[in-house]
Amino acid sequence: MQRIKFIDRMSQGKVSRREMMKAATAFGVGTLVLPKVANAAEVLTCLEWGGYDSADYFQAYVDKYGAQPNFSIFAGEEDALAKVLAGFAADVMHPCNYSVARFVNAGVASELDTSRLSHWNDVFPALQSAEGVIWEGKTVMAPADWGNSSLAFRPDLMPAEFAEDPTWAIFYDEAYKGKVAMNDNEMAIIIGAMVGGMPYDEAYKLEGAALEAAAKEWGAKAVNVSRFLWNDSSEVQQAMASGEIVACYAWNDLVANLRAEGVPVTFAKPKEGMFTWFCGLTLLNTGKADEQAAYDFIDAWLSPETGKALIEGSGYGHANMKAFEISDPEAIANMGITDPVEMMKDTIVFKTPTDEVQEGFNKVWSDTKALKG
Amino acid sequence: MVGYQGAEGLTSAVTTASIERPAERPAGPRSDPAVIRKRLAGFGLLAPALVLMFMMLALPVVALVLMSFWTQSGFELDRSISLENYRQLVAPSDETTWWYGIPFPLAYPVPAILMLKSLAMSLVATIAVIAVSYPMAYFMAFRVTRHKALWIILITIPFWTSYLLRVFSWKIVLGFNGAINSGLKAMGLIEEPLEFLLYNPTAVVITLAHAWVAFAILPIYVSLEKIDRNLLEAASDLGDSRLKRFFRITLPLSAPGTIAASLLVFIPTVGDYVTPALVGGPGGTMIGSLVQDLFLKQNNAPLGAAVSIVMMLIIAVLVLLFLWAIGYGKLRARRS
Repeated sequence: MQRIKFIDRMSQGKVSRREMMKAATAFGVGTLVLPKVANAAEVLTCLEWGGYDSADYFQAYVDKYGAQPNFSIFAGEEDALAKVLAGFAADVMHPCNYSVARFVNAGVASELDTSRLSHWNDVFPALQSAEGVIWEGKTVMAPADWGNSSLAFRPDLMPAEFAEDPTWAIFYDEAYKGKVAMNDNEMAIIIGAMVGGMPYDEAYKLEGAALEAAAKEWGAKAVNVSRFLWNDSSEVQQAMASGEIVACYAWNDLVANLRAEGVPVTFAKPKEGMFTWFCGLTLLNTGKADEQAAYDFIDAWLSPETGKALIEGSGYGHANMKAFEISDPEAIANMGITDPVEMMKDTIVFKTPTDEVQEGFNKVWSDTKALKG
Repeated sequence: MVGYQGAEGLTSAVTTASIERPAERPAGPRSDPAVIRKRLAGFGLLAPALVLMFMMLALPVVALVLMSFWTQSGFELDRSISLENYRQLVAPSDETTWWYGIPFPLAYPVPAILMLKSLAMSLVATIAVIAVSYPMAYFMAFRVTRHKALWIILITIPFWTSYLLRVFSWKIVLGFNGAINSGLKAMGLIEEPLEFLLYNPTAVVITLAHAWVAFAILPIYVSLEKIDRNLLEAASDLGDSRLKRFFRITLPLSAPGTIAASLLVFIPTVGDYVTPALVGGPGGTMIGSLVQDLFLKQNNAPLGAAVSIVMMLIIAVLVLLFLWAIGYGKLRARRS
């Protein structure tokens, strides 16, 4: 009864700050001292990208279990993989088409039983069978979100000529030193090689001496020219909004969020190409929670309601075809994200490198950053 | 924190201790049961700390040493003992990498460069910390006469918030639209925001210096507080100017606290990781960032372990050299 009275008083705003602190302290101490016996089922643990830990994206799961799962936020798939390999017990991971193979090869991903996903039949058939969703004949990722990686710039702060013929070359141009921000990712080397004339199909699998040379030529330039190398999207969005930087490597959410704030921004289609990715949920075999909870979480991500939140909120596309029927048509048109198949025809779809190539990129990119003078 | 005592309290404690000590010296034979019991009681008091140190410090270090002899290839961890990681750190190469005019003829120069860079950055931060905290401690020890406890509490105020928040505040202070830039702009001193404030080694040094000042003030303050005021008076009476008095009495007598403070700042800051990650940008990377990257991104924990061990050894050697160079042994001898 004491507890109920306290809550009542609290909701009426009659609890003093001191009483509140006392209660909070008592609770904090209590949870530390009490042994964890009542915890019958382990809570689901998800490795997620920053921003995707919002309940909008898995409301059905919250409705069923009454609480959010636990999240661990990563900045890139390689960080997440290293964390899992170091013994972090995650149940679900959010990789992308080009990175899911790393988890399969490392032996931490499980095959998905798509019959346990109620929304599976509404997923674009092209995505159901795409490489990355299927790896070595097994379905290892439930595709959920898709979108672009491209160059975003402030048209009001860039010369008009640039808007007519946008190019990735500004990230390697001393004239833009301190005015642009690349993503903290080996894409800086790959895109540099593409600026130098190499097609993506060769650049993404650079190895050995060729990789070292590309890193020395292009990676070092990108590190030097960039104001900072961004790791979380809010950091780069703030820098773009304030005018600290005038162009950056960006995903759709940056454009959607800045436009919502009234900041002019263009999501360019650079002449070297714009990229398309699709990401999804992978079941890991390292988790401790009930497998059904993991399937419920994945299924919630595939629901059309999640798709609507994703399309209208972040400007990303969604894998569920029905999501496009219930979303605001203006938001869809605004971002040009109606059909993943059309999108993939028109842009460069990220490809999966071999483990050796990926490890080479990891090392060379880290060294390139460290050697900045 | 060192318990606060008035000047008289401390000096009298020191004098009584020095009077009592000779009486204790001629201790009974080692076999005396009373002495043994006393010694065991001492270990009993130490036990909780020892157990904790063993579990939280010694065991992980042993694990780290062991791991540094393993090797990683792809996803496979090879547990056979090998010196491969250490070889990688010193393997020579015909191609020399230049960094600020210093040649590194190594096949994998990154760890060596970052170690040197971290040591240099920490050294600058340490000097900055001592330069800021010594006058402050001096002020507290010699000028503040009332409410000393209040002053000490005021110094610890930055510790009331998390370190992460303090680093973020520096990001806001130094940022593009931050406090410094908006202030200068409002005063009309600059047109465009200054961009050299953030994302470089200087930002890291500023942040580190601010974060560690309180750690340095307290030991320096304690050693200044302990100085017998009669010595200062004697120096003045015998004709020393204030400056001369400071260099002949105050500075040498406060040296133990100052040395302790510099080590307290230098050692942890060399391996700092979160500060460069937040305010350093790629140019402000330190050795801790590389260790983190090797463990958490390159999935090469054994190499990361080897880098950490080498760094620990280098710091240990440097500290010993430093103590030897300033004649710490003599200082201690003089004190007792």
